[in-house]
Amino acid sequence: MKAPLGTFVHARSGDKGGDANLGLWVAHDGSAAYDDRVAWLLALVTPDFVHALLPETALLEVEVFALPNLGGVNVVIHGLLGQGVAASTRFDPQAKGLGEWARSRHVEIPEALW
Amino acid sequence: MRQLRVGNCSGFYGDRFSAMREMLEGGDLDVLTGDYLAELTMLILGRDQLKDPSLGYARTFVRQLQDCLGLALERGVAVVANAGGLNPAGLAARLGEIADAQGLSPSIAYVDGDDVRSLGFPGALTANAYLGAFGIAAALRGGADIVVTGRVTDASLVVGPAVAHFGWDPTAYDELAGAVVAGHVLECGTQATGGNFSGFGSLARTAGPLGFPVAELADDGSSVVTKHAGTGGLVSVDTVTAQLMYEVQSTHYLGPDVTTHLDTVRLGDDGPDRVRITGVRGSEPPTELKVCVNELGGHRNTVEFVLTGLDLEDKAAWVRAQLDPQLTAASVTWSLGPAPVIDADTEEGASTLLRCTVQDRSPEPVGRAFSSAAVELALASYPGFTLTAPPGTGTPYGVYRAAYVDRSAVTHTVHHADGRTEVVS
Repeated sequence: MKAPLGTFVHARSGDKGGDANLGLWVAHDGSAAYDDRVAWLLALVTPDFVHALLPETALLEVEVFALPNLGGVNVVIHGLLGQGVAASTRFDPQAKGLGEWARSRHVEIPEALW
Repeated sequence: MRQLRVGNCSGFYGDRFSAMREMLEGGDLDVLTGDYLAELTMLILGRDQLKDPSLGYARTFVRQLQDCLGLALERGVAVVANAGGLNPAGLAARLGEIADAQGLSPSIAYVDGDDVRSLGFPGALTANAYLGAFGIAAALRGGADIVVTGRVTDASLVVGPAVAHFGWDPTAYDELAGAVVAGHVLECGTQATGGNFSGFGSLARTAGPLGFPVAELADDGSSVVTKHAGTGGLVSVDTVTAQLMYEVQSTHYLGPDVTTHLDTVRLGDDGPDRVRITGVRGSEPPTELKVCVNELGGHRNTVEFVLTGLDLEDKAAWVRAQLDPQLTAASVTWSLGPAPVIDADTEEGASTLLRCTVQDRSPEPVGRAFSSAAVELALASYPGFTLTAPPGTGTPYGVYRAAYVDRSAVTHTVHHADGRTEVVS
């Protein structure tokens, strides 16, 4: 069923010059499905997925680095913040809220992971 | 060998002022660190120094030590901070004056050599190489009570004291990488203890403000992240993961002393508010050092129009059509906020914001020429015209970029309290 990505995925985001940095990982909430959730998240998050999840990144280069030992992925969105935090005219020029926006987006979550 | 307890009391220039005292009084520490430098902060300090060459350092750190210097000395806690910014020598001198005035005689060392403007970055307001931990380590081994630096990597504030304490060689890559990870967890202060955390719902709300983080480092580079007893917030595998995920990019984190393999980090629960970091592997660092370059990009200004009620698209279109022809700035960006709910039962709920941001190389086109043009429409535009704030005169902005220099071009230097200088390779 469709539900917010943040149902059991945590996020933190910020700026690195003109790039946005976004970490997504599975919450340690005691669920027996933790390992399956991590496998699902690692398979789910690709550059194409990020482009669709956050449409304003659609034309930007996105890199995804898997960190299975930390239960998640590090996503780098190149150029989202223009020439850097001081210069950017973007709403939220430091991408502080980007992670919470990503968590609020609805995605298809397999029933076995609930 | 005995573990090393390192605390943090600042994640940025402007962080909680009382944190230095709280960390010194709240529990045992060997070293207290503070990070005051973000990319943007270098620009702010650069502009400070343009106005007054004796400035260019974090002034809140001076006031914090004015309050806490005696306490730190009495408790035997060394203080290590990158608050020197563009002028660590100036900061060290200022701290010396404060100590004299209080009748104290701390050993104050500073580390510099990061300023590489002389290597040729045309147009750069600031250009600072990210130095590693061995300068701080040499300063501490030389007996410093206080070490202030310019641009070192944020993690070096923790790695340096660990190198001094455990005596690690420059090729002890696994140990260094372990300390780098601990340093990254600590460098943003309360972001390791429940601040800016997706799982904020799980934090206890009854305690006081979020405690700042502490790392207990062992001689193999492993560590436990915790906080002083009785402080607010939470240290959990999730709060520590949050900070690691935020600070890193890619799986191999390149630093001046070591390349840290983030795919080897293991986090484990070590009791309430305690998270163990183990297994971190490191390898040789790159031959070049990263440089943070800030250029004065130009000037910018923003005005926000409040649009309320019906026909919002048409209202926005009209005010744009009125203002656009009068604007001479090189760049004009308009953005319209989300559509309000229909039939809203509050005025705020029925409103949205239309933002106009202008940028130009010179201040005039974004100054009065822009703000007056917007204000003059007050009685002459869409119904309900109002602004969120009177438009100001505009502000200068910087443009950040990364560059790289060979490490042999940089003279990483420790200035000991007794006047000796020591160059770190």
